[in-house]
Amino acid sequence: MAKPENTGVVAPERRKLVSGPLGKGDKWFFRSTSIAANFAFVLVGLILVFLFTSAWPALQSQGLGFVFGSKWSVEDGSKAVMQLGPMLWGSIQIAIIGIALATPMAVAAAYLIVYLLPQRIAKIATAMIDLLAALPSVVIGLWGILVFTPVAVHWATIANQAFGWFPLFAVKDPTAVLSDSPFIAGWIVAVMIVPIITSVTREIFTQLDDALVNGALALGGSRFSVLRRVILPTAAPGILGGILLGMGRAIGETVAILYVLQLDFHINWYQILEPRGGAVASWILARFGEANKTEFQGLMAAGLVLFIVTLLVNILANVIVNRSKAAR
Amino acid sequence: MITLPTASTLSAENISVWFGQRQVLENVNLTFPANQVTALIGPSGCGKSTFLRTLNRMHELIPSAGLAGSVFLDGQDIYGPEADAVDVRINIGMVFQKPNPFPTMSIKENILSGLKLSGRKIDNADELVETSLRRASIWNEVKDRLGDQALSLSGGQQQRLCIARSLAMNPKVLLMDEPCSALDPGSTRRIEETISELSESMTIVIVTHNMQQAQRVSDQTAFFLAEEGTPGGVVEFGRTEDVFNTPVDLRTNDYVNGHFG
Amino acid sequence: MIERPVIQPWSAKIVAIRTQIIISALVPAALLGLVVLLTSIDFSLALIAIFLPAQLLCAGFVGFKNFNKRGVKDAALLVLVYFFSAMVFVLLMSVLFSVIAKGFGAISPHFLYENNKYVSSTTTLEYGGVGHAILGTLLIVALTTIVAVPLGIAMAVYLTQSQAKHLGLVRTVTQALSGLPSVVSGLFILSLMPVLGLERSGLTGALALFPLMLPTVARVAEESLKLVPADLRLAALALGAPNYRAFFQVILPAAKSGIITALLLGLARVVGETAPLILTTNANNGTNLNPFAGGIASLPTFVYSFLGSGYATSQQRAWGGALVLLLLVGVLFASARIFGRTKSLKTKSKGKKK
Repeated sequence: MAKPENTGVVAPERRKLVSGPLGKGDKWFFRSTSIAANFAFVLVGLILVFLFTSAWPALQSQGLGFVFGSKWSVEDGSKAVMQLGPMLWGSIQIAIIGIALATPMAVAAAYLIVYLLPQRIAKIATAMIDLLAALPSVVIGLWGILVFTPVAVHWATIANQAFGWFPLFAVKDPTAVLSDSPFIAGWIVAVMIVPIITSVTREIFTQLDDALVNGALALGGSRFSVLRRVILPTAAPGILGGILLGMGRAIGETVAILYVLQLDFHINWYQILEPRGGAVASWILARFGEANKTEFQGLMAAGLVLFIVTLLVNILANVIVNRSKAAR
Repeated sequence: MITLPTASTLSAENISVWFGQRQVLENVNLTFPANQVTALIGPSGCGKSTFLRTLNRMHELIPSAGLAGSVFLDGQDIYGPEADAVDVRINIGMVFQKPNPFPTMSIKENILSGLKLSGRKIDNADELVETSLRRASIWNEVKDRLGDQALSLSGGQQQRLCIARSLAMNPKVLLMDEPCSALDPGSTRRIEETISELSESMTIVIVTHNMQQAQRVSDQTAFFLAEEGTPGGVVEFGRTEDVFNTPVDLRTNDYVNGHFG
Repeated sequence: MIERPVIQPWSAKIVAIRTQIIISALVPAALLGLVVLLTSIDFSLALIAIFLPAQLLCAGFVGFKNFNKRGVKDAALLVLVYFFSAMVFVLLMSVLFSVIAKGFGAISPHFLYENNKYVSSTTTLEYGGVGHAILGTLLIVALTTIVAVPLGIAMAVYLTQSQAKHLGLVRTVTQALSGLPSVVSGLFILSLMPVLGLERSGLTGALALFPLMLPTVARVAEESLKLVPADLRLAALALGAPNYRAFFQVILPAAKSGIITALLLGLARVVGETAPLILTTNANNGTNLNPFAGGIASLPTFVYSFLGSGYATSQQRAWGGALVLLLLVGVLFASARIFGRTKSLKTKSKGKKK
């Protein structure tokens, strides 16, 4: 039996090989945890079904105008008009401003933490960024209205005086106090999403192959060219995912924006310093207390729209982040 | 006194192994007679560790794993319809490449962990602990510190603790997957001595990269090889001195004389 | 552990270059100080319009002098990285210091245990406090925790221990759920309440926090379970353990600190949530220890309502409440980090166990 090579005997069939539960206890173990895990689907399904049921009358009476129109008048119960357009656009607008402000800060902070700071200080910096992420939005809102707004109004006035000729920074009445604007709300949101983008970017930076970075340096690359030609191209999808995660958070932000923004149904397309804007989540909270039955259904519909938008943004974001992490 | 079980004969027949669609082993036939030590040698990636894992049904824990063929323990197919993976693993113990004592348990708890984990009653725990540790020849080093955390031991001691942990289950067969590759020469020698002593009461299969070790500890040797693009298989199997001194196959000759691998 | 790449264009640490760098950092700062002191220019304007260009210019000059063209780009990169990072730092510090400084003025021993029963918007700070809100928050969050933590851990167990095919989908949905806007969570419970026959109470508040806490616990618990070496599970299975015993006797004890971290971070996630509680609980100025009936106060809604009323003492109360909330989050967060750190089992050596 020196060489057990193929002796012409037909090879046995490939078995079905599954590592199933080992005994009764295991069956229960897997069954109960599987119920728990699948509860995630149940929860998403329940939220969709219940919001949809409560929102249906409003959606039915308002039609597509609910999303695209710009009027909210509910005093006359039977002829209530509920058109969320300005709030929806406002949410997106604020998210865009927030991302534009937060991304440079977040990427810079991640670069600093990963490539510049000594390890010990980098750890502290990471902890501080995580703490920023844990700050309750009501606390940020309180800071936003009482501490930050006066400063930001100042900035807004300067920006308006210097660049008022440019439509983005134009306002109807330059003598008015430029508070309660999408600009300020965007800053508040930026404070909240900086930690989200930073932590995703930092993780991707640390996972970057050392050999890649060092190799580029060995080829005579400068810090700048290594960042531009090696680090950023490899990390870009991950950073984009982080930005989308931040966007989800920005669109869903409620309390803090309510404090620092004047909600208005005259749509404000781009004048970000103008003291009027919109945010779906804040609108729900603002109207909730005095809503009659019809308006309540309208707010449920607003919640449904908000949920679907954030769900899609978040799924997309997570798919991108996971893929760019797995690629390492 | 705890009665030791009689050793068993383990035999693998027509074993082929897949990961997903990729076949890594083809048609392996090996018999491991009772009380013999068998060494599995071969270059990295030839499937010898994978083969070892098919012998106590650890292979199936990898999600895409596939298998054909049978493994018989004293004539009973361990993959048969009545066979229970838990019973198989209780009877066929395993020692891993890296020492892996349970970090949250004390030395004593580690020894008893197998019985607890497989849900069996523990009678005269102290005696079992002592016997197991003695059989793994580590009793004298740890007898005064049985309550210490297992991770307070050195690497070599941890590996012998892991052997003792398997022995506490009274396995009929012990599988060892490169048990010394992470250890220093001194610890390696002690484990090799332990293997020789253990073969009196059980059947041992050991995967090793170390040719000298294979010659020192084993009675018979199987040489595995996976040639480029083909699944691995056994090239030569026989008495250890024959495989090393008068190999039949040229490739075996090249390998045992250090020409490749 | 990945080593930090050492990128040092300045690696030729000649003293001259170092001096130049120091000077190039001091000159713009001095310029800024001078301009701000001598003219009435706005500080933040001067920062952007004078300091940043001056800093870029100086650093660029030093870079050019020593490393030619690539030195300019590197210098600009460094200046921008430090500038933007400093902005993050300043924003964080501004939030922390305003809350601490302004909140400190409102806090006194009685502020921590008294309730608000006899307090109006203008009552001085000698009366009233957040005692009822602290208790309310603890009750509501405790109710959420009792359900969300076991369930979240069970989800994590399934994600790490089973080999089911749709694990990726479960993970994606769980992650997506962690982006659930808190106001939507509140609306969901509101729409559920008539079906379950529930009135607004601490319980409905706890229900509204539940979908927010669950994904956080599941994610952190999954990460900590993943950190347990796969070898340990294999060793347990090789000893003939069924999966559940391997989990409870080997994996769970090894991941204990990570599981506690999951609990703490889950708590930190929901303890400051405001919108869902405004939607699903009734306010209460008195202490209510029954979470199943009646209005119940909570720290976030306390801050929210006092800020809304606009009076100076009310704002101070809001700051006080915010400080208490911040301390609560800080304690949870700090203990999460401390527990998270003891993860490395290799160095752990406990005293003798029986």
